[in-house]
Amino acid sequence: MTDQQTDEKVAFMPQMVNLEYRIVTSPIHQRFDKQMREGRIVGQKCPSCGLVFVPPKGFCPLCAIVMTEKDEVAVKDTATVTSFTVITPIQYQGQKEREEYVLANLILDGADSSIGQQRIEGIPHHDVRMGMRVKAVWATPEERAGEEGGGMRGWGLTAAVKHWEPSGEPDTPREQYQEHIL
Amino acid sequence: MSVKTAVVGVGQTHHKKVRDDLSMAGLLREAAIRALEDAEMEWKDIDAVVIGKAPDPFEGVMMPEVYLADALGCAGKPIMRVHTAGSVGGSTAVVATHLVQSGVRERVLTIGFEKQSEGDTTWGLGGGRSGSVGAGGYFAPHMRAYIDRANAPDYIGPAVAVKDRLNALKNPYAHLKLPDITIEQVMDSPYVWEPVRRLESCPTSDGAAAMVLASEKVADASSKPVAWVHATAVRSELGQFPGRDPVDPQGGRDCAADVYGHAGITDPINDVDVLECYVPFSWYEPMWLENLGFAAEGEGWKLIESEETNFGGKLPTNVSGGVLSSNPIGASGMLRFLEAALQVRGMAGEHQVEGAKTAVGHAYGGAAQFFAMWVVRTEKP
Amino acid sequence: MTRDIAIVGYASTPPQTEVRETETQMLFPAVNEALERAGVTRKDVGFTCSASCDYLSGAPFAFVQTLEVTGAWPPISESHVEMDGAWALYEAWVRLHHGDIDVALAFASGITSRCNWREVSSVQLDPYYLMPLWVDDVSLAALQAQALIGSGKITEKAMAEVVARIRGGDAAALLDEPYVVEPLRAHDTPTMTDAGAAIILATGDKARELCEHPAWIAGIDHRSEAHYPGVRDLTLSNAARIAGEQAGVGKGPIEVAELAAQFSHEELLLREALGLGADVDVNPSGGTLASNPVTVSGLIRIGEAANAIIDGGRKRTLGHASAGPCLQQNLVCVLEGD
Repeated sequence: MTDQQTDEKVAFMPQMVNLEYRIVTSPIHQRFDKQMREGRIVGQKCPSCGLVFVPPKGFCPLCAIVMTEKDEVAVKDTATVTSFTVITPIQYQGQKEREEYVLANLILDGADSSIGQQRIEGIPHHDVRMGMRVKAVWATPEERAGEEGGGMRGWGLTAAVKHWEPSGEPDTPREQYQEHIL
Repeated sequence: MSVKTAVVGVGQTHHKKVRDDLSMAGLLREAAIRALEDAEMEWKDIDAVVIGKAPDPFEGVMMPEVYLADALGCAGKPIMRVHTAGSVGGSTAVVATHLVQSGVRERVLTIGFEKQSEGDTTWGLGGGRSGSVGAGGYFAPHMRAYIDRANAPDYIGPAVAVKDRLNALKNPYAHLKLPDITIEQVMDSPYVWEPVRRLESCPTSDGAAAMVLASEKVADASSKPVAWVHATAVRSELGQFPGRDPVDPQGGRDCAADVYGHAGITDPINDVDVLECYVPFSWYEPMWLENLGFAAEGEGWKLIESEETNFGGKLPTNVSGGVLSSNPIGASGMLRFLEAALQVRGMAGEHQVEGAKTAVGHAYGGAAQFFAMWVVRTEKP
Repeated sequence: MTRDIAIVGYASTPPQTEVRETETQMLFPAVNEALERAGVTRKDVGFTCSASCDYLSGAPFAFVQTLEVTGAWPPISESHVEMDGAWALYEAWVRLHHGDIDVALAFASGITSRCNWREVSSVQLDPYYLMPLWVDDVSLAALQAQALIGSGKITEKAMAEVVARIRGGDAAALLDEPYVVEPLRAHDTPTMTDAGAAIILATGDKARELCEHPAWIAGIDHRSEAHYPGVRDLTLSNAARIAGEQAGVGKGPIEVAELAAQFSHEELLLREALGLGADVDVNPSGGTLASNPVTVSGLIRIGEAANAIIDGGRKRTLGHASAGPCLQQNLVCVLEGD
């Protein structure tokens, strides 16, 4: 029953597997991306529960009903930091990040769902705090990275918003954001 | 309408950063053969295999049950593969248990594994793209929110990290062996995803864990003590929506309430002798102690401060060393369930908790949104 | 020991060559329609099991996104298999035996248009001995077809007749087409598609309450055989045969058989393995040859076989699923009407 035991080490060799995938940006994300490039952040408001989702999913995950363009609402480009971390990037094959950076979850003014993976700049990393108020730093048309309608990295915002910086407003009290940690 | 089911054999590999002495099949067979030997069975006695592991891109083998069928003796037998993110080791054991409880199968081998040295997890989690922050980067904000909410002293996380690694010294299979670890050392170590330090994070391990689940008829004939499954439960919740609390997820509470209800546990801290819960980053211990009802909201950290979750305490937690000491992701959840079973069988050797009769195994995954738990006991249900 | 468990609702999205929406958006109509046909809402579902494959989309945790189709709040009892949806149905079927819940949902999604499935299929093989050969599923299927032809069990003409029946056209003309991998021609290989499907299961009286003609699961079993094509007799499908026997195929006449035969020769092989005579209506839906969304294929076969009973007036049908090279794994589900 037992396998043959040997002192010889099993030999390994690296095998790089290369598979190509097409990233398809769905119509709803393409629309969101287009609106972002026009300087607008537009979400969808569920006709049943009234919650506003940014970016829009095309449905309400709580009510499980489909949402369309007629459910669109604009939200502001100011937000509260609900949680964050300071990342020390792990150097794996394909990693482009080298320096420490802040990733935060934000709740945009006017939205009910929070957005994640947002970068915060303009403040020493270790001074970032929960409840801090931030505003979007928009990229100029020249600065915008990525192709038109390309993907949903950074929750779709990185196409047009470079990062967020402190707005200088007083912090939001914990009770108001603690339901939006994620 | 349920067949009483027990764990009649367990086996695991020596978990290490790199098991370059075995192929993936070999790794699984090391655990499976130990489980079969413990169960006093042979490959031919097994009716079905249920295998679980984390995302396929971690090793670069799609649907590995197809490749592994031969190594796991499945020519002519059923093999299926469960995948529920990090909780997979637990939910795999739950599926295997259902197969026996339903009467569909009599003896089921369940196995979870990960051979992370043959891939790159951080790469895998990022879908092969730049900017992957790994699990730690994802969970760090939640841990920060817990510390803030509970006003927990900052040495609590390090204390858990030390406890689990010292426990691991008593577990011959555990990966990390850090006999000299101290709270000061952990607090001095650098952050990876602030507020989480490297020494407060789980390793990546190559490893496998296996159990043989059998019906009452088979278990009664066993010459060794068995671990009776009194309750199992799984819960999933949406990962992100307005009003979600990822720090104290409803899914975890509901999962615990389900198993406690079916196992007759009404006062967890007193009714449970040993807890094996899924703690990949130190702060998850106080968080889960609260989420699973062992401590009131905001008070989980006090159980650590008073050393009640230490080996000699009221609720020894992760005496195996836990995920913080060994983390072959696909097996980690199953190891929690396995260690719980070992305890109530009285077969945990050096890390046996004296007189353990009721143990809880717990696993979680995804955005702290998938949960799997079981309650095992020395006595039959 | 077994409970009476039936399929009471099934829906699938019309197969597309290239879906543009997200996988979750694609799934919504399938899940909603299945629930509607069964006459239940999400709140009635006691257990959910989904199926998907990360390698189709090229990113881990595809199923975490598709969880949103279930409206999993408050938290639900849910699981997932990284396999064909037929196995999600199997897990749900096992779960229903417990007796504490009456309704379960199994669903699956598969978007094949974003990858080169032939290439990706190689990644399913033994990573040490087979994958480095980059022998893809069409090539392996060709080996099996060749073995079958060589043994005299089938002919290229018989394969062309399967294709003509499913895709239309004249078998003789089909034989004039060039090979893609001898002896397979393009039409012998599946049309890859994007789709989602969902099935609602219910037990005993609940099933009778919800559905006038429930498709009772009389037997369901799955088996694997050896992985390495080199150690198998490729002219047989032992796993399918055993699964069929265990599921009770031979216990009565089968009127409709929906077989997850991706290639034309597979249909011929499975007919033999499952003991299906010429009088059995095989793949009236077009089968997996006509539309192959990979992880959804088997679930669709079972759903179509169920529909034949639910509103097709049939009494005994069969749904089949498979996975792995050369029909390595097979699942057979025998359905009966009252």
